[in-house]
Amino acid sequence: MIEIDGISKVFQLRGKSVPALEPLTHAVPEGRFVAVVGPSGCGKSTLLRLIAGLETPTSGTIRLGAGPVKRPVGFVFQDAVLLPWKSVEANIRFPLDTAGMERARSDAVVRELVALVGLRGFEQALPRQLSGGMRQRTAIARALADDPPILLMDEPFSAVDLLTRETLNDELLRIWQRTGKTVMLVTHSVEEAAYLADEVMVMSARPGRLERTYAVDLPRPRSEETKLDRAYHELVAALRRDLRGGEAPR
Amino acid sequence: MLIRGLAGLAAILLAWLAAVHLFGVPGYLLPAPLDVARRMVFLHENARLADHVAVTLGQLAWGYLLGLVLGIAAALAFARAPILERLSMPLVLLLQTAPKIAIAPLLLLWLGLGPAPKIVLVAIVTFFPIMTGVLSGLRFLPRSYGDLARVLRLSARQRFVHIELPATLPTLLAGMTVASTLAVTAVVIGELMGANQGIGYLLAAGQESADTATVIGMVLLLSFIGWGLYELFEQVRRRTQERFGHV
Repeated sequence: MIEIDGISKVFQLRGKSVPALEPLTHAVPEGRFVAVVGPSGCGKSTLLRLIAGLETPTSGTIRLGAGPVKRPVGFVFQDAVLLPWKSVEANIRFPLDTAGMERARSDAVVRELVALVGLRGFEQALPRQLSGGMRQRTAIARALADDPPILLMDEPFSAVDLLTRETLNDELLRIWQRTGKTVMLVTHSVEEAAYLADEVMVMSARPGRLERTYAVDLPRPRSEETKLDRAYHELVAALRRDLRGGEAPR
Repeated sequence: MLIRGLAGLAAILLAWLAAVHLFGVPGYLLPAPLDVARRMVFLHENARLADHVAVTLGQLAWGYLLGLVLGIAAALAFARAPILERLSMPLVLLLQTAPKIAIAPLLLLWLGLGPAPKIVLVAIVTFFPIMTGVLSGLRFLPRSYGDLARVLRLSARQRFVHIELPATLPTLLAGMTVASTLAVTAVVIGELMGANQGIGYLLAAGQESADTATVIGMVLLLSFIGWGLYELFEQVRRRTQERFGHV
């Protein structure tokens, strides 16, 4: 669960106040997959960073109904941010090591995660030996390592090619269905948002604010069939219209 | 690299030999390579050359270690508290820009003829490249590493051990490589200014008795030490760069 209550962010740049996010209120129930779309500068990344605690809000509060967990969120960055001197395995293990989990237990967790994200056989590889897609798989596994209830993803697939991206989308859905996490994914791609999410938040720029939300009731599990669905195409068209600043549909 | 280096060395030896024989240069100006080698053997047998080398290497190692520890500590302090950097930079720059050959007599006056002034001199010259190496590594740490550390709620110690230290290894080693060549110069300046043992002492003794072969031998010895250290650090640096450089 993510409860966002009147959260806003104003950056101070050389003495000037630059509003990045207008007060925003929204609630994401537990286990839901939410996608956030919007043009550059709409504050969607800022929103995600606020939820993760990487920025402090200018006003408002965020409650993560996560209980007494040390790390309530797992974060997947746009460019993976793997530690280049650590192997795939060691990168995935990093959150567990720094949480003080003993090797015998973390070994089992890492093995499971490697299998989950499809990196078997690459455990000992270094990040620079991996493709962009494999790096993001490693980053996803790391974000899941100490089992946070919330997974935040900041344009995680924007640097991989289209085909890999579609594969990774399907794998993300599979992982989400297996783990039941609350997911918030920021993306530039309206297709990706419509395909993956239960709910799409559309944001607009200058100043960044939540424009509207769409409930996505396309049937699950989603697959290539979904992409032939008329409702899917209508949603994609509506989202695109919103982003272009055209009139509201219907 | 090493092979090409040795080939270059062989070429220089040949040219040296040829110059001595073709132009008939007198031995007191430029002794032939073999004369220098004979002189080295003589020094080894009669003047305990190996002990002198050991003394110099010992001073080099202790001074280097001192400079390394101080350099890393200062860089960490400066990165965490920039005010410290602004306060101590004038002194650091003053030490760094003053000619070492001018500092040496002062150190000898203060610390005597023993190993102490040499160790301090070596520490002074190695401190700066090591400090700047670590500091620039910390400054150019990708900001996203900081985000990762915060998402994972890492403690300051975990941040240092798991992120800052490994990420600054390549620039630290670059600083250490530069420092190694400076260190050889510094130790020999210290010994030339006043010592009763060490390579620099033999060098000064050779100069006083117009023993050109000894002087050339000592110069070569020092060059080999410097070269060897450089190669050693460069090898380590290159290996680390592969693994620890940013993707």
